[in-house]
Amino acid sequence: MDKKEELKRRQADIEAMGGPSRVERQHQMGKWSARERIQYLLDANTFEEIGAHVTHRGTRFGMDAVQAPADGVVTGFGRIEGRPVYIFAQDFTVLGGSLGEMHAAKIQRVQDLALKSGVPIIGLNDSGGARIQEGVDALNGYGEIFKRNTWASGVIPQITVIMGPSAGGAVYSPALTDVIIMVRHTAQMFITGPQVIQAVTGETVSAEDLGGADTHLKRSGVAHLAVDSDAEALDGVRRVLSFLPQNWMEEPPVVKSRDPLERIDETLARVVPDDANKPYDVAGIIGSILDEGDFFPLQKGYADNLVVGLGRIGGHPVGIVANQPRVLAGTLDINASDKLARFVRFADAFNIPIVTLVDTPGYLPGTSQEYGGIIRHGAKVLYAYAEATVPKVTLILRKAYGGAYLAMCSRSLGADLVLAWPTAEIAVMGPDGAANIIFRREIEGSDNPAETKAAKAEEYRQQFANPYVAAGHGYIDAVIEPEKTRGHLAQALMALYNKQDHRPKRHHGNIPV
Amino acid sequence: MPTVRRFRITINGKVYEVEAEELGEGTSEPSRVVAAPVTASAPPVAPKAQQGSVSGAAQVEAPLPGLVLDVKVDAGQTVDAGQVLVILEAMKMENEIVAPDNGVVSAVRVSKGDNVSAGDVLVVLE
Repeated sequence: MDKKEELKRRQADIEAMGGPSRVERQHQMGKWSARERIQYLLDANTFEEIGAHVTHRGTRFGMDAVQAPADGVVTGFGRIEGRPVYIFAQDFTVLGGSLGEMHAAKIQRVQDLALKSGVPIIGLNDSGGARIQEGVDALNGYGEIFKRNTWASGVIPQITVIMGPSAGGAVYSPALTDVIIMVRHTAQMFITGPQVIQAVTGETVSAEDLGGADTHLKRSGVAHLAVDSDAEALDGVRRVLSFLPQNWMEEPPVVKSRDPLERIDETLARVVPDDANKPYDVAGIIGSILDEGDFFPLQKGYADNLVVGLGRIGGHPVGIVANQPRVLAGTLDINASDKLARFVRFADAFNIPIVTLVDTPGYLPGTSQEYGGIIRHGAKVLYAYAEATVPKVTLILRKAYGGAYLAMCSRSLGADLVLAWPTAEIAVMGPDGAANIIFRREIEGSDNPAETKAAKAEEYRQQFANPYVAAGHGYIDAVIEPEKTRGHLAQALMALYNKQDHRPKRHHGNIPV
Repeated sequence: MPTVRRFRITINGKVYEVEAEELGEGTSEPSRVVAAPVTASAPPVAPKAQQGSVSGAAQVEAPLPGLVLDVKVDAGQTVDAGQVLVILEAMKMENEIVAPDNGVVSAVRVSKGDNVSAGDVLVVLE
């Protein structure tokens, strides 16, 4: 046969993947094929496949007769918005996308290249799990992937999309990456599936309820984004990458913004209610600060008492962390602490400045919180902020009490600049609690304890429930007019972009995980 | 065939979800409009209640221990996702406890002035 013809024949076999009927079944399940996904995700005509001819070496259980084009995973590199990325896409039409020795080796290869080259890596997961016929070689394949995920952590962005099943050990490669996007109804992640759970514990649960996109977005906190289709998931990848540098040594990409930095927003002067007991939605403030009001929240639906996400000010990416007074009164609890710490470390790893908006009455009280380890979870918040070397700007909107004041990127923890609205109240605790302790005897000895308590609380409020005591001691750098917030934040960030900060040399810190 | 179309309308900064029914030709009746204010992208306050139980009923639980300041719904009432059911004062905040989903209130388990613990059922939705 003509050599050119042979190449064409082989290429055709590889590009056909599991064959038309299996690709059709994939479509019926609402899923695109691995190649369709890659084509949609990358800039047009930029995909360069590597390892297309790799095939498995299995001989047992009849594997010697099994053809597996590309061994069930398409790997290579291409471009997104002109910037190089490495990619692997598991192909469910070939042996159910199962991971064998060579399938794993192909993934490891793009991991190695991405890490050496300082280029982001994207994994599109759609796999039935380990290829059982290949036994311990398949297991080893997972282990080698996990190791590379860990080595690449904080060096290059690693983005995962779950677009089919991901069960057992397979979940741990995604779990080690920076962002997980899941597609509703087609994606599921779990360590042990519904059948095993039924057999062992007797619980009945559907795969979607156990490990679907909404379960992991809202309940477990594993997913950062849940979407309705393959297309939306891949759009999400492009969106995430638009905020990230290629690697930890580079600055995040800057875009042109037509939104004036000094834009004044009169509504901000009214957003915080006069009554400190009234909730409001912090989303309005976030939207007002960012370019074109464009905010990309992560883990929305999980620990909504805290909002985290990405946006831009003056075209420069920023990470936003904000207490949400309308959920759980804006308290910090175990889940919010984990969410915050993970996000701050993600932003810090990739040179994204952090803007923290503070309105929290404190850590959430309760036995379930204490027994659940709020001490060690809450400590992560302190650790993440104190460790971060990116520019850190804090804006106190209203309540900043006690330990939570310190935790929310206070000056003491290393904020570069702390701003406050005139509505800010910085104190060891709220006025009622403070009055109860400081004036206990006077309240108890009073003819009308309730009235005395209210009067003393008001006295305390007058004296301490404002930003000026803290500003007088230098813990707040400026008290600003709310309507001019965007301009002040933009100026602050501009003055900090070249910030250099270093921590003592060591193997690594010991964050209380 | 009357067709019902849904609109989201913002009036004075408040978002309303509106259903408009088209009645076809030959009738001078105005379209029926049902409006209830919804809070845009209201995050569910009680994630536990969202999971629902086998019967399809959702129990809206207190996310925090606190004092019931106000009950905004009655049994039998239809509610939209995000609609305020109960105002719960906790952590010095008048927390709005909202419906996790559209539904009908099948039971109100608390009344004004009650002290509740975290996890207590406030309202049952169907």
